[in-house]
Order: sequence, then C-alpha cells, then structure tokens
Amino acid sequence: MTRTTIDMPAPSARTLGRARAKPSGMSRRKRRDAIIGYAFISPAIIGLLLFVGYPMVTSLYHSFTQWNGLTPAQWIGFTNYVQMFTHDPTFWPSLGVTLLWVVVSVPVTIAAGLGLAVLVDRAFKGVKLFRTIFYLPVVLPAVAVLTLWKYIYDPTYGLANEILRALHLPTVMWLGDSHTALASILIVGVWGIGGTMIIFLAGLQAVPTELAEAAKVDGAGPIRRFMQVTLPMIGPILLLQLVLQLNGAFQTFTQVAILTKGGPGTSTDLLMYKIYTDGFANFIASPNLGYATAEVWVLFIIVMIVTLGMLRLTRGRFTAGNEA
Amino acid sequence: MTAVIARPRRVPLAQRVPLVLSRIAWYALCGLLAVTMLLPLVWMLSIALKTNGDINQIPPTFFPKEFDWSNFVNGPNQIDFYRLLMNTAIVTVASTIGAVASSMVVGYGISRIEFPGRKLWFALISGSLFVPGIVGLIPLQHLYISTGLIDTWVPLILPAFFGSPIFVFLARQYYQSIPRYLDESALIDGANHWTIFTKIMLPITKPVSITIAIMSFQLAWNDYLNPLVYLQTQTKFTLSLGMASFLGDTAGSQYNYYMATNLLFMLPPLALFFLAQRYFMEGIGSLGTISK
Repeated sequence: MTRTTIDMPAPSARTLGRARAKPSGMSRRKRRDAIIGYAFISPAIIGLLLFVGYPMVTSLYHSFTQWNGLTPAQWIGFTNYVQMFTHDPTFWPSLGVTLLWVVVSVPVTIAAGLGLAVLVDRAFKGVKLFRTIFYLPVVLPAVAVLTLWKYIYDPTYGLANEILRALHLPTVMWLGDSHTALASILIVGVWGIGGTMIIFLAGLQAVPTELAEAAKVDGAGPIRRFMQVTLPMIGPILLLQLVLQLNGAFQTFTQVAILTKGGPGTSTDLLMYKIYTDGFANFIASPNLGYATAEVWVLFIIVMIVTLGMLRLTRGRFTAGNEA
Repeated sequence: MTAVIARPRRVPLAQRVPLVLSRIAWYALCGLLAVTMLLPLVWMLSIALKTNGDINQIPPTFFPKEFDWSNFVNGPNQIDFYRLLMNTAIVTVASTIGAVASSMVVGYGISRIEFPGRKLWFALISGSLFVPGIVGLIPLQHLYISTGLIDTWVPLILPAFFGSPIFVFLARQYYQSIPRYLDESALIDGANHWTIFTKIMLPITKPVSITIAIMSFQLAWNDYLNPLVYLQTQTKFTLSLGMASFLGDTAGSQYNYYMATNLLFMLPPLALFFLAQRYFMEGIGSLGTISK
C-alpha cells in the first residue's frame, strides 16, 4: 500500500535535468504549458467560482440582511444570528436533534458497514451473490426507497408492524412517535449500508494477506489480528469515510422531507430540513431569506469545525501504522 | 483470495469440524441478512400486485390473493409517468455527458500538465468537496430567477459541465496511475496535450469514465432536493419529484398503484446496475482509495 498523503509525484529526474540544462527553452514550454493547463482545468475554475465562490460570498452577505428575495437586501448586522440563538423556539431543538443524529448515525453506519465488509471479505462460494444483495438497496432511487419505507412503517398496513404481530410483540408507531421517529429513519439508513460496505471491502482486499498470516503465526487471535493489523491498514479509508459520513449526516434532508417532515414535534427536525422550511417552504409566511442563509452559515461553520477537528485529531495516527 | 480453498495440506479432522461449522454459521448469517435486506423489496412487489380490495385488508396479508397486473398501467397513468420518465432521462443523460466530459478534461489538466498554481487549484477543488451543497441553494435559486432559468432543467444539468469535485478526484486518481513516459514520448514526438488527451488518454481511461458515468447517472436519477427547489411546473417534474407528490396526493388508499409505479421508477437504475455491476462495485470501491 502506498503512502497516505495526497502528494503530487515528484518530477522525474529527466525533466529536472532538462530544466537545468536548457533554462530558456523550458521557460517557453513552461509558459505554454501554463496556458494549456489552465485551459484544461478552466471548467473546474469556472465551476468553483460560480457554484461555490459566488454563493458563499453572497450568502455570507445576505446572512447579515433582511431580504425577501425581490427588493434589495437591508443590512441588519447580527440581528438574524441573535434572533436564531435567542428567539427562535425551534433552533436549539433542531440543533440538538441534528447533533444527536450525527453522533448516533455515523458510528452505527461505519460500524455496520465495516462489519458487513469483514463478513463478505471471504472467498466462499456465493459470496459475490451476497455482496450484490447487500449492495442492491444503494442502487435504488432515494425517493423510491423512502416512500417504500414510509409505507413499511404504516402502523396499520405496514410490514414493520406485520412482522411484530407475527412475532406476538407489541406494535410500534414508528414515524408517528417522537421517541421512535429518528431511530426509524436510522433503520432505513442501515438498510442502505451496502455503499459503505463496498468502500471498506475494497480497503480490506488491499491489505496484504501475508501480514495477517504472519500475525497468525505469531499467535495473534482473530480479534487482535483485526485490531492491530487490518484496522491500521485501512485507517486512511476509515478516516475519509468518517469525514464524508459526518458531512453527509449534517446534511441529511431527503429522509426527513419524505418520511417525517421534521415531526412529530421537533423530534426529527434536522437543521437541513429547518433551513429548507425557513428558506423555501414557509417563504410566503415569513419572507426573510437572510434568516435562512444565516442558518446555512451556522450549519456550514459547524461542519467545518467538525471536519477540521476530525482531521486534526487523527493526523498521523492512521498513517503511523501504515509505515510500520 | 482463494488461499482458504486452495490450501493443499490436509487439515486434520479435529480442525476440520469447527471449520465446517464456522462455514455453516457464515452461510446462515449471510442468508439471514440477505433475506432481511430483500424483504422490503419482496413486500413492495407483493403490494404492487394486489387488487384494490386486497390492499386495505385488516390484518394485511403478506402475499396477494390474486395478481392484478393492471396496476402497472393504472398506477403510472395517475402521474403522467412516461412524461416524467422522459424528463428524468433527459436531465440524467445530459448531466452524465457533462460530468464525464468535464471531469476527464479537468482531471487530465490537473494530473498530466505541469503549471504554476496546479497544487493550489487541486486543493481548492478537493476542499470544495466539503462545502455543504445547501450553501449554494438560496443564492443560486435567485441567480436562476434573475436569469429566467428557474423552472427549467438548466439548473439541474449545468453544474455537471463544470467538473464536480468528486469526479475530478476520481479521474485524477486514475490518470496518476498511468506511466509518465507515455505522454512524455508523445510530447517529444510533437504531439500537443489535446492530441495526447483524445488519442492516448481517453481510450486507456475508459474504466474511470464508465465509473463516473454510472455514478453521475445515479446522482441525477436520484436527486430530490435540487428539482424540489428549481422546478415548479408539474409537467417539467423529474420522477423523484413526481413520485414524492404522488405519495402526498393520491396514494393514501391506492398503494398498489403507487408501488407498481415505484417499481418502474427503480427499474432503469436496477437495469444499469446489473449490466455494469463490475463498474459499480469497483467504482464505489475506488472512492476508498482517494485517501492514498
């Protein structure tokens, strides 16, 4: 396995040698390469400016304004933020639910995905069929899956209670009960664990078998082999998955929009969904897009802090095992 | 991978029994999980085949009493399904073309041409992977309103043509694995970068193009938030949007219609999956190698 940092390959000795030998010729080629290089990456540069840079700058500005989207925005300083933190009765509950969701769903997804990957990292007959079946839900459109699950959770006609009744267990209100709604959404997520499984599986298969064999000879049991050989080897993948899943969990939207619309009460009112209702759905009732963009920035800053914190905390820890 | 099976040495009986047992346990566990995973889909198929009288039975039965295939006609008719299918296909195909073309070009530039600022731009592109999509939603909606592009498919297609970071990443990853002497010798022979890109690189990077195509197909086919924000007219809806509102409007008592239509909605990505399964698995798997 190669090093785990994102590094450009060092220029080959040949190009370096040539650069020193013929400085003037190289500089002309260099200039031409620069123009052509920028031409090649220009779509991404335009994309960055148009779809990332422009919205970031304007939305940061709008978060300090009262703005209905039609007439020019009025600068109101930190009023939106102050209102969010002190007056909005749904902001803190929404943030609380979001953090709970992230803290629970990310470890569950990672652990289940890794567990399933370990399970199907065998050469047994039929393993490919199992992999395909486990991956299948990932292929299906989110809305198709979620609407199916909404009916599965139907208290009267749904499959979930049908199973509970068959097992003579008490039935559950699932999405209709504020105590079980978030967990019900998580179950749908676990059903789609195959994506995470495949990523970890690719990582596991890249681990040289000699390493595990050597540890086996040294008398390490399967759990110790996994903790001390396999886990450090797939460390970089684990870290990347962790960061991406955290990002995804903070931005969970479609599940809530289709399954619960934030309810019952505020039990599933994730910040992403609250932003959507404030900025788009309830726009006619209270037309302040400035407020919704302020919420966007709060979410954005939280995601940034968590992502950078994650990268910082784990820096070196995973790569160290790799170099050993 | 086949080490377990191919081991020539005879294992003593005392060891073979637990080996067989653990294998049985493995099959039992995988089988149980597979049945659990498939159960919702089987149940959906069963509902899609139930008659109108059958779906509202209390307590519900798992299997339909008789198969009602007309749901696959009546269901889609409730929401003008084939028009929405066409809309979704147009949006999906267009953004897939855009995604492949732009990420292959940008990926080439960022990995095979040396120019000042390359590292910085690559860092910016990869960094933008972590900017939540919601940041752009409100400003872009107003940009599209003021340019008259709201309620068209342009907002759904256009971004794909500007190199989405994740695909640029994948493309670059693949380009990096191609030996340098290929383009260096072509450059010495007088070929320019565009020729190298089209004549040498595009043919040998086909696997990653296909991976990007499949992933972008899925993204576009499955997208819900963007159509929700950018489309208003029912006749322009994509299937995600149409199916979500179908559930809200009429499905209340006609879940057999709904599930039959839902099955048709799932069919194109399913078909693609079974046709190009290898690329799906390897493509998604290669996401894990990004951190290398």
